[in-house]
Amino acid sequence: MSAVVAGPSPTIDTSSTPQVPFSRLVSVELRKMWDTRAGFWLLAVTGGLLVLAMGITLLVVALDDDVRVSANAFSQIMTIPVSLLVPVLAITSITSEWSQRTGLVSFTLEPHRMRVVWAKFATVLILALATIALAIVLGAIGTLLSSAITGTDAVWNLEAGTFAWSIFQQMAYFTMAFAFGLVFLSSPASIAIYYVVSLLLPFMVYGTLYAFFDWAKDVIPWIDFGFAVGPYVGQGPDPSVETSATTLLQVIVTFTIWIVLPFVFGLRRVTRAELK
Amino acid sequence: MSGALAADRLGRMIQVTSLTKQYGAFTAVRDVTFTCRPGRVTGFLGPNGAGKTTTMRVMVGLTPATAGEVTIGGHHYRDIPNPGRHVGVLLDASAQHAGRTGREVLTLGAKQMGLPASRVDEMLALVSLSDLESTRRLRNYSLGMRQRLGIAHALLGDPSVLILDEPANGLDPAGIRWMRGLLKDYADRGGTVLLSSHLLNEVELVADEMILIGRGQIVASGTKQELLAGRAGGATHVTALDIASLSTALEASGYAVSAAGDGLRVETDPVHVGQVAADKQIVLTDLRPAEGGLENLFLELTSDTQRESITAEGVSV
Repeated sequence: MSAVVAGPSPTIDTSSTPQVPFSRLVSVELRKMWDTRAGFWLLAVTGGLLVLAMGITLLVVALDDDVRVSANAFSQIMTIPVSLLVPVLAITSITSEWSQRTGLVSFTLEPHRMRVVWAKFATVLILALATIALAIVLGAIGTLLSSAITGTDAVWNLEAGTFAWSIFQQMAYFTMAFAFGLVFLSSPASIAIYYVVSLLLPFMVYGTLYAFFDWAKDVIPWIDFGFAVGPYVGQGPDPSVETSATTLLQVIVTFTIWIVLPFVFGLRRVTRAELK
Repeated sequence: MSGALAADRLGRMIQVTSLTKQYGAFTAVRDVTFTCRPGRVTGFLGPNGAGKTTTMRVMVGLTPATAGEVTIGGHHYRDIPNPGRHVGVLLDASAQHAGRTGREVLTLGAKQMGLPASRVDEMLALVSLSDLESTRRLRNYSLGMRQRLGIAHALLGDPSVLILDEPANGLDPAGIRWMRGLLKDYADRGGTVLLSSHLLNEVELVADEMILIGRGQIVASGTKQELLAGRAGGATHVTALDIASLSTALEASGYAVSAAGDGLRVETDPVHVGQVAADKQIVLTDLRPAEGGLENLFLELTSDTQRESITAEGVSV
């Protein structure tokens, strides 16, 4: 039993129990991401998608002599499966505290709520970095395999600048997912909005408009983060777009709209939100 | 030793002072003041929606108070570093991730509090959750198993204070008896226990002191004896070898007697019934205060806060 100083008003002696270090909060939050059944299956399916994506790419390389996949391109392909489902972990990391009501325990063991939230945010960034690292490693393996299959030299063309931007982009999308979680504190709402904003709108709406209308080429990079950051990661819909002060401003504007604002608004919400 | 003296000697581990919590125009808790002492189990009793849970949530810093304050061991809960090592809390046994195993829930708690992994096995053994049960996911747990896990979680950090909201809810009779022994033992070792319940029976046998709350306000508090003391019209349940003679003798002494089960209900205190039986040399086989003394008090004190209107005959329809 913890030490108690007796007397008319006994006091609990807290000198032997320092505050839980931030690193320990982070490691606990990391563990909480995969120790549930949902977390396990999400990662398992992602693993399956990775194998599938790699298999298909190698198959194409093996069957079509004209196709050469560089290390950079291979890594970009590998980034797709790890970016599809894993952001859900960033969302449920925060929303499950409300939907599964585990916040009653989490915010009692650490009553300084913001420390828990920042620890979660740290795990989200770690997760984003891990997915990129995994994609790079698998891209390298895929490059070696494809050069072995086709009997040609492997193309090692990963550029530091592009690489740094890819990491930034991945972290930004994971942060966006987390921020939507903070804003809605509900898994279904956050997940739906995240996929609409990050996937459906860019592919179904913006992509189409961009292809057919000139005005869309001017407008969309100002409202969609993916289009704004495209020229920097070598994935823009129009390869002729050169990076400039304008494109940098577009990145800043869209980053503010979709990542900074939801994050700040969500933090305010979590500070005040009642745990039922 | 008088009660007041004992109280001073034991001290006040939990001190709730003039606590008020409002949600908009609704006042969930109004000017609540009470204390919990080390070595004692304090029962927090009231009908559903009386403000027990709100009070406990404010105590552990989950909800800010509108007015008043709570100190535990001289600290505000928020100011206790690594609070799980000092205050064990169970607010809702069902508030755990359905997809996590019981063992994993305890492991997460142990990791966060900086405890060795062996503590998890100790706690599982303490609450009698088997190895097999501990590897099942929470969605497959009965409410009773969740309560056991919740109590294990509250005790993980070997705290000196326990705050438990409805811990007996969902436990079977054997489980309730087990928990009673656990909490008694914990208090005997110097721990402070505050447990809430809406069922008098759960609290009556384990609590040394009781706090009755109704519609957000404390309506009575004290030991069971103090609560019943000075309450006119105590009744007695008595059985004897020769019931007929006892009945006649009691009526002759001027007490109201009625048949109750295999014995008699007498409208007076047990001491008077025993006196009559001793005078007439009638062998008693059972003599005790009629059940419902405390229950009637509880219902009376909280009657204007009940959803049903309760009369002496029972629930009026």
